[in-house]
Amino acid sequence: METINKPLKRRSRYNSSEARVAYICLIPAFLGLFFLTYAPLVGVLGISLTNWTGLKSPEFIGFDNYVQLFTKDPYIKDSIIATIYFAFLSVIGSMVYSFFIAMLLNRKIPARGFLRAVFYVPFVLPAAAIYVGWSWLYEANFGFFNFLLSKVGLNKVLFIADSSYVVPSLSLISVWLSGNLIVIFLAGLQNVPSVYHEAAEVDGAGGWKRFIHITLPSMSPIIFYNLLMSLIANLQVVTPALALTNGGPGNSSRFLTYLMYDQAFVNYKLGYACATTFVIFAILAVFTALLFKTSNRWIYNEGGDDK
Amino acid sequence: MSAVAYGRLRSRKRKERTMNIVTFVVVIICAALVLFPIWWIFRTSLMTNAEIYRYPPSLVPENWLFSNYEKTLKVFKFWKYLWNTMLIIVPSCLAGTFTATLCGYAFARLRFRGKNLIWALCVGSMLLPAMVTLIPLYIGWTRGLGIHDSYMPLILPYFCGGGAFNIFLIRQFMMSIPRELDQAATIDGAGYFRILFSIIMPAIRPAMIVVALFIFIGLWNDLLQQMIYINSSDKYTIALGLTNFRGQLKSDWSLTMAATCLSFAPGVIFYLIGQKYFVEGITLTGMKA
Amino acid sequence: MNTGKKIGAGLLSAALVLGVVGCGNNEDKETNTTSKGTDTTTNSPDTSSSTTEKVKITYSMWGSAEEGSVTQKVADKFNASQDKIEVEVVSIPWESYMTKLNTQATGGQLPDTGMLKEDGVIQWSSEGMLNDVSAMYEGSDSKPLDSLAYKYQGKTVAYAAANEILLLYYNKDMFDKAGVAYPPSVLDKAWTWDEFVAAAKKLTNDKNGKHPGDDGFDANGIVQYGASVENLPWQLETWTLSNGGGFYSADGTDVRVGEDASIEAIQKVADLYLKDHVAPLSVGQTDDGIQRTIIAGTVAMATNGAWNVGTSLNTAKDEGLKYGVAVLPYMKDKVTLNTGGANVVFSQTKHPKEAMEWLKWYNSEENNWGLISSGIWMPTLQKWYTDEALTHKWVDNPNFPPYEEYKSAVVDYAQSSAARPASWFFTNYTTDFNTLLGSVLGDVWTGKTTAKDAITKNLDALKAAHTGNK
Repeated sequence: METINKPLKRRSRYNSSEARVAYICLIPAFLGLFFLTYAPLVGVLGISLTNWTGLKSPEFIGFDNYVQLFTKDPYIKDSIIATIYFAFLSVIGSMVYSFFIAMLLNRKIPARGFLRAVFYVPFVLPAAAIYVGWSWLYEANFGFFNFLLSKVGLNKVLFIADSSYVVPSLSLISVWLSGNLIVIFLAGLQNVPSVYHEAAEVDGAGGWKRFIHITLPSMSPIIFYNLLMSLIANLQVVTPALALTNGGPGNSSRFLTYLMYDQAFVNYKLGYACATTFVIFAILAVFTALLFKTSNRWIYNEGGDDK
Repeated sequence: MSAVAYGRLRSRKRKERTMNIVTFVVVIICAALVLFPIWWIFRTSLMTNAEIYRYPPSLVPENWLFSNYEKTLKVFKFWKYLWNTMLIIVPSCLAGTFTATLCGYAFARLRFRGKNLIWALCVGSMLLPAMVTLIPLYIGWTRGLGIHDSYMPLILPYFCGGGAFNIFLIRQFMMSIPRELDQAATIDGAGYFRILFSIIMPAIRPAMIVVALFIFIGLWNDLLQQMIYINSSDKYTIALGLTNFRGQLKSDWSLTMAATCLSFAPGVIFYLIGQKYFVEGITLTGMKA
Repeated sequence: MNTGKKIGAGLLSAALVLGVVGCGNNEDKETNTTSKGTDTTTNSPDTSSSTTEKVKITYSMWGSAEEGSVTQKVADKFNASQDKIEVEVVSIPWESYMTKLNTQATGGQLPDTGMLKEDGVIQWSSEGMLNDVSAMYEGSDSKPLDSLAYKYQGKTVAYAAANEILLLYYNKDMFDKAGVAYPPSVLDKAWTWDEFVAAAKKLTNDKNGKHPGDDGFDANGIVQYGASVENLPWQLETWTLSNGGGFYSADGTDVRVGEDASIEAIQKVADLYLKDHVAPLSVGQTDDGIQRTIIAGTVAMATNGAWNVGTSLNTAKDEGLKYGVAVLPYMKDKVTLNTGGANVVFSQTKHPKEAMEWLKWYNSEENNWGLISSGIWMPTLQKWYTDEALTHKWVDNPNFPPYEEYKSAVVDYAQSSAARPASWFFTNYTTDFNTLLGSVLGDVWTGKTTAKDAITKNLDALKAAHTGNK
């Protein structure tokens, strides 16, 4: 690759036109980043230094919100733990599940098109309805799962009514919802050049070996993408708490984004909620940075530029 | 072909066939588990409200009340909501997919000054939950631009790269395409845009369809923003229409579920159409060789 | 074409940045911009029919688009009845109502008048967002019940749109089958908590037909429960008051939830499931208590609000359910709470008088007759409770339980000394407090901790929540 790139580099005309093309391509991104993300973010930062309730005019209070958040807030610690715990279970669960299912669906099986659609359907359903549907399955006294358990003579499990079970129960829903990851994996598997597989097969490499040495490396950019998406989405989790648990029992499902929502839209502490935002932001940044740091070691980029 | 090689091929074929049968059985079992909660929602849509809460719960509705769907359609103006939703989704999907592809191309293939910084800003923007910037953006649209009760705040963001997630997805897919392809074209004298349009885009069509699909689903279910920006009920979308059945004191679950079952059909249809492109047809191997 | 798109996007985004910058400037002179913003909303639909000189006001309500158009029809009657005011109704789905209103407030886009969720009223008032409506019923023949006025610093800032009280519902068939006497509908004969638990035990069966306390009773194999008491924080206040405690002192200034009487009351509610084994685990996560219990026939008695008569019990009655309604059991004092979403006039409005006139007109029972005659809302005006002819008009219809029963267990109960306003009628930051209390008690219901430990450990935080963490 290097050898081919070299002659291009020598001619500076190429570089400047390449850069010009890049900037033109990126105009939409510049606009989006500025107007939809970073300008509002500055606004959020500004609000976080006030005691704005969203109702009457704000007063500047410096870092009081942050001090309060780290010293006196009754929820924040539990909330961080709940969020990370949920994200941990959901990311691992949905990555393994969706990759496994995508591998199976990539084989030549009957009714493949239909079956692929089946695993994708949960992702399409409107969230509110899904969670209500699941709540009837999970219900502690009269739910369907407990009905089944009582049929086989087992004791009831309280599922989302018990602070120890609520996060795993919600994670299971999140795994079930990960049809989008399957779609991306499936699309990615199309890009695994089958010449490699054929060559390896001629060399006598078994299925497992081929999986480790061919499928995984050539899928690694896609795996990375899915891992990152899944991590970010699950660390930002809010819907199950909004639709189902209201953060309970106790604080066991009071996820950070839900906490922020509650502060901003229920308890009229907009300034405080904006401060909480930066906690969410920091946690996400740490995890994302870790992921990117390790990524160089295991991502195999066929066409990426190697810097 | 030698006899040994032929025998090996045959045994491999047989092995392949058994593997496929095992796979099929496993997939069917998984599919049944995945479908179960959906069945649960569907059977609820065919029950009376009293039957939903009956104990022991039953897997099959007693009377299959398809009349629930008639009742639902009286309140849930499906076609109108669908039309309104499409007014948002169609321009967003087109613009989002196109601009995401442009941006993804720049990040995946081109070298330019400030690339790392811009990329970092792009990744950084994914770390913010949509809820965070909701208030500043709302103030910007309403107080700043005086836009009320309009779809613009929902559509225009998709003209700006369709979100970092989608740019990222496109970039990842472009990076998995062998560089030799466009280098060959460069040597033939093709410009960067021609490479993008005639070589890269066809190759990443699966990813572009996936992006369009995600934008579609994202907007389809984006209750929060639609609720904030849309006021009048004749502008209601599917997502907003679905909240019609939930009240302060009373929620009509069988009708909610019926509306839910109606409303996910378009998403599935879009998927089935898209699927042909992103999982069946494309093989890059031919181009590779 | 592509470039065209890009230019378009560029222009629009440039406009957007101006907006954001503009908003930054506006922040200081909030009130000015705010009223301007309101103007745009109210006036924009007006342009087509600007022949009349009527004052336009918007009224926002929670509900579906369909409910909105029903209310608009009522408003049209009002619009036709006089030539000064034109009311436009905006309906917002319930689950996003407060979020939307809150956002509108930040953007200065609030309507002139509208409904407000119970627990937000005092806080909005303390932020100066609500008008004083004390003058609304001056010179009227009948006023709303005293307990239905939201008061902040002695001023009435809103009246409830409806009245609701907490009741005890029961499934008559289940009582008949167990041979247990029905709970009393007359306040004087109200059951004590112990009588309530004793009856509930007789109504609780495991799969071998045994009751709690019997030898070999299997608490894990209960097939029918005797009682269910809702444990949503605001409803728990009832029991703390009944036990001589409370959440707050009578004027709402001090926190009393840490007192032994309050803690004991909460523990008693939890013990229905944990110790007495007469109740299902109640987690306060869904709003379908009565459907899951009385109507489904899984629980014989359940506490819940008066609205259930109209939201689910009337349909179930048509389908053959025999249910009754009774007054709540009591611990030391007889207590029920009354509540009701508020109708407010936002201080941003330019037309407070017109808004009040509309509210007063709209809040008369005739204009909400659908909700009242179905049993979802109880009237707010005193005369419906005191004038028996009106009570007959209200209750004597097939949506309700027998007249005598409902009259005694609901109508009389609601105007008795037992009926007390929920604390959000006069206390600030009830949302903060209730959220925290709900979270503190999370592990009490499953028995992982006791009410005593949970509350004592978090008492300082609860007290801080009560002051809005200031």
